[in-house]
Amino acid sequence: MQAELITEPAGTPWERRDELGLLSGWLQTMRQALLEPVKLFSSARLDRGSAQLGFAVLTTSVFSAIGQLLGLLFSGNDQAWTQQLMQYVPADSPFMPYLRSQLDAGRHPHSLLRTLLPLLATPLVSLVFIYLNAAVTHLVALLIGQSKRGFPATFAACAYACAPLALCAVPACGAVIGALWLIVLTGVGMKVTHKITSGGAAASVLMPYVLCCCVGGLASIALASTLAKMLGAQ
Amino acid sequence: MERAGPPSVHALGLAASGAALLCASFVVPLGMFDCPLRAETGIACPTCGCTRAFHWFVRGDFGAALHASPLGTLLALLCLAHAVWTLLRLLGLPYAPRLPKPTRALRYSAGFAILLNWVYVALS
Repeated sequence: MQAELITEPAGTPWERRDELGLLSGWLQTMRQALLEPVKLFSSARLDRGSAQLGFAVLTTSVFSAIGQLLGLLFSGNDQAWTQQLMQYVPADSPFMPYLRSQLDAGRHPHSLLRTLLPLLATPLVSLVFIYLNAAVTHLVALLIGQSKRGFPATFAACAYACAPLALCAVPACGAVIGALWLIVLTGVGMKVTHKITSGGAAASVLMPYVLCCCVGGLASIALASTLAKMLGAQ
Repeated sequence: MERAGPPSVHALGLAASGAALLCASFVVPLGMFDCPLRAETGIACPTCGCTRAFHWFVRGDFGAALHASPLGTLLALLCLAHAVWTLLRLLGLPYAPRLPKPTRALRYSAGFAILLNWVYVALS
């Protein structure tokens, strides 16, 4: 009779932050997530959901808040861009009232509440985003039979995959690069935490985007064609 | 139904997220907007109408919600049911619903239901 030895992973640096220290635990987790993701996901403990949630919310909200503050500094450029855009959009376009309101809002100095409200809401928005991402990924994994170790495994993958969202602090392209990196890391995480094949992990992660979010891509193409038509009419 | 202790962190997180989505659907007038893809190309995606379904669901117009998307209405109902159940468990209810095992038959049925929803949304 063979006895199967089941060893529980030691935990990621963030899950061992009591012994490593908060900053050191966070920095080591970030380094592993960005450079050695397989090592990070292999060491994640599925019973440390609250720690994983804390890491994801902290990383996402702090860097998004920095990005928002930098965005406020560059809001003058937004004004110029909106004014330029309004020259190309027809007066009867449904976008026009929105653009006017953006321009008007930018002309008046922001009240303290209007500035602080998005910053204060960032942790809640991050929490909703993290659970929505994990729930959709898990539902797809369930649907295609790739959920081998339950929701905590999917959540661990999605939570640590938020590490590249630190790039949200970089103005302009940071959020886009961070989001693409997040998708790749989620795939790696699903493969390791559920112990499934690369194809199964890729399908679990990419299927929602293929089914639903390709709408975004197609909508961008549609928007680009509309803009091209409008520019052609000038 | 099975006996259960206090809700897990994930049950709480999912309940909070579901409640936040329902509240956002109430505050933001999402029903005003048509899907940009469908407006431009006429093609509906499998989740087309879900946003409008949430919008009508939180306003109590279940007919309009079902018309917009049966899948979206079901998701909104699940968000509400989970949030309410988790709140009751926080208040001391010692029971949790027993979730069915994801058997092959159940997975295929769910896939077929999503396909039917897509056909309905595309044709409506």
